[in-house]
Amino acid sequence: MLGKGLKRKLEQEEEHEVMSCYWLQRQTVLNLSLLKLHSRPGHSDPGLARRVLITNTLRHIQDELRGEGGPVPGSPLAVVDGCRERPAESHSEGSLTPVSRLEEDRHLLLCLSPPTSRQQPPSSSVIKDSFTSALAEIEDLCPTVGITTLFTTETGRSITSDPNPRQTDPGLSEMNSSTDSVSSLSDSALSVFGHTPSLLTDFSLDDFLFTEIDSLLFDNIPYGSSLSASSGASKVVSMVTDDLVKTLTGYSNGGTSQSGLSSNQTFKLDLSELDHIMEVLVGS
Amino acid sequence: MDGDGEGQSRWCLSQVKGAIDDDVAEADIISAVEFSHSGELLATGDRGGRIVIFQQEQENKNLPQGRAEYNVYSTFQSHEPEFDYLKSLEIEEKINKIRWLPQKNAAHFLLSTNDKTVKLWKISERDKRPEGYNLKEEDGRYRHPSSLTTLRVPVFQPMDLMVEASPRRVYANAHTYHINSISVNSDNETYLSADDLRINLWHLDFTDRSFNIVDIKPANMEELTEVITASEFHPLQCNTFVYGSSKGSVRLCDMRASALCDQHSKLFEEPEDPSTRSFFSEIISSISDVKFSHSGRYMMTRDYLTLKIWDLHMESRPVETYQVHGYLRSKLCSLYENDCIFDKFECCWGGDDSEVMTGSYNNFFRMFDRDAQRDVTLEASWENGSPGCPLKSWRVSAGSRRKRSEIGVDCLDFSRKILYTSWHPQDSIVALATVNNLYIFQEKPN
Repeated sequence: MLGKGLKRKLEQEEEHEVMSCYWLQRQTVLNLSLLKLHSRPGHSDPGLARRVLITNTLRHIQDELRGEGGPVPGSPLAVVDGCRERPAESHSEGSLTPVSRLEEDRHLLLCLSPPTSRQQPPSSSVIKDSFTSALAEIEDLCPTVGITTLFTTETGRSITSDPNPRQTDPGLSEMNSSTDSVSSLSDSALSVFGHTPSLLTDFSLDDFLFTEIDSLLFDNIPYGSSLSASSGASKVVSMVTDDLVKTLTGYSNGGTSQSGLSSNQTFKLDLSELDHIMEVLVGS
Repeated sequence: MDGDGEGQSRWCLSQVKGAIDDDVAEADIISAVEFSHSGELLATGDRGGRIVIFQQEQENKNLPQGRAEYNVYSTFQSHEPEFDYLKSLEIEEKINKIRWLPQKNAAHFLLSTNDKTVKLWKISERDKRPEGYNLKEEDGRYRHPSSLTTLRVPVFQPMDLMVEASPRRVYANAHTYHINSISVNSDNETYLSADDLRINLWHLDFTDRSFNIVDIKPANMEELTEVITASEFHPLQCNTFVYGSSKGSVRLCDMRASALCDQHSKLFEEPEDPSTRSFFSEIISSISDVKFSHSGRYMMTRDYLTLKIWDLHMESRPVETYQVHGYLRSKLCSLYENDCIFDKFECCWGGDDSEVMTGSYNNFFRMFDRDAQRDVTLEASWENGSPGCPLKSWRVSAGSRRKRSEIGVDCLDFSRKILYTSWHPQDSIVALATVNNLYIFQEKPN
């Protein structure tokens, strides 16, 4: 290395080179980190240690970027990690996931733009903005992810079709019906587990898209007793995703012409199916 | 200090176990290696949840020229895959750790764990069986009472040795996160199990309760920045244990101080060298293994690039630092991309604490002689070396050269890594696992 007391002065060009190398590496690490956090490794639980390390690396880079005053991709970041941990947080001592996790999914769906009250869905214009900007970010990073475009066409259409954010909005109302049934489950479960659901203030829409909705629908759509095999579970999850697409397509196509009565009937069907699921779960 | 290429080391390949095959089933990949307290037994666990125990041949053991061989003693299925229905996640059956209990009687006991459940297994021998029943034939059929004319006393007759493994305890449902360590206490009655955020203390006899002694879970999970990565009880003081974290610090706790040891008694942390700071500084500082010396005076930690020996009386910095594969420092970005940077390497002490050892990539492993301040890089390969022949040492250089005993960094095979190692408690015998196989090395007799 250099001797003591010897200072080397970088030429302007050299310094730019070094800095652009640094920027390039920083950008690479940033992209890699976001990719790693958003990819689903499979059916077994991805390690917490790995996620924490990647998240810390990402935070460090984001802090640097924020300090330099530039745009900060991938934020809000804190809950990329927090979303996955939240289910674990509400666990009682034990390996079972309490149904309060489903309670959190309800919040994810309702709080599409932070911060907002838990029970009120926000206005659709706000939904559209944060939704599409987050999607645009993801598409920049992962252009090959098919499910992103799927959601863009289906849910984007259904959400923007009706300015009224309440029951007549077909996309949201479908989700609301699922979550209402979920909340009836979780309310009874809450009394058993004694947990209070936590308020999500900050989360990443990416996580909502890629993780929670799969599990949410998986729990709501009826299945036989074929859940014992892990391969069975993967089939159910992929079936669920297809069902989601079909359901949303159905609602967005016929949404505006459906009467309120028929949607209520559909909601009741969902509830009875959920009761059946609960029986299976609790009975076994 | 960095590999002075002695040419020949004093270690020789003794045995290779497992299929000599490039096509390895995922379930056969070894994930744990551990010698028993006497060294007579060697246990391995794999990703399929099985445990295979090898036993050292007794006859050759005491001969000076004899290479004591390890042969299969028992094989059993320790853990099965499970499914968490509510999370819709698989619980892997992969064995994360095996720890032997000190032997108290003829049977052997070990603890094995996967991500969620710890089990106590009893391995016992049966070499006699009762023969000469009055009411039953030898094949189990009942004799007709009218055919009985005399009575006899059943006697034990020798039979072929049968080794039975039976689960004696199942310690379940105490960990929300993945168990990364188990450690038996010197009191031989309790043990600890550690996951990412909590450490639990168990009594071996009780499976329905465990005592939480460390909990680093923050109230708000969004604030989580540090996890527990490894933990071990002190070999002599039953009240002392340590745990390492993902931020490169090790905390020593005294269970006498309080019931919940969230406040550490000592914090071992080396201040970061600002000249080597990079985006990956935190990841490579994460402690992958922590082991006390046999004497109980020192502690060794392994992070991604180094081995550090700490004196328990000095928290500010380690007393010795060894570079395991410093040439990887310039490759960290690629290693981050292919996830190798998250590999957790184990380390182990030699029987007299004068040597330590750990694994690396390309099926290399590193041995460090603390007294002589010498280190050597050896390769675990059944192709390059026959049993009994001393291993040649390797050097790793920059670039992509490949010579007789030198290899360039760019030629290293990062899919062949030695993560799991164990050293015989008394003799100079080491066991380590490559992805495919179990290797046993012995010191060349002089």
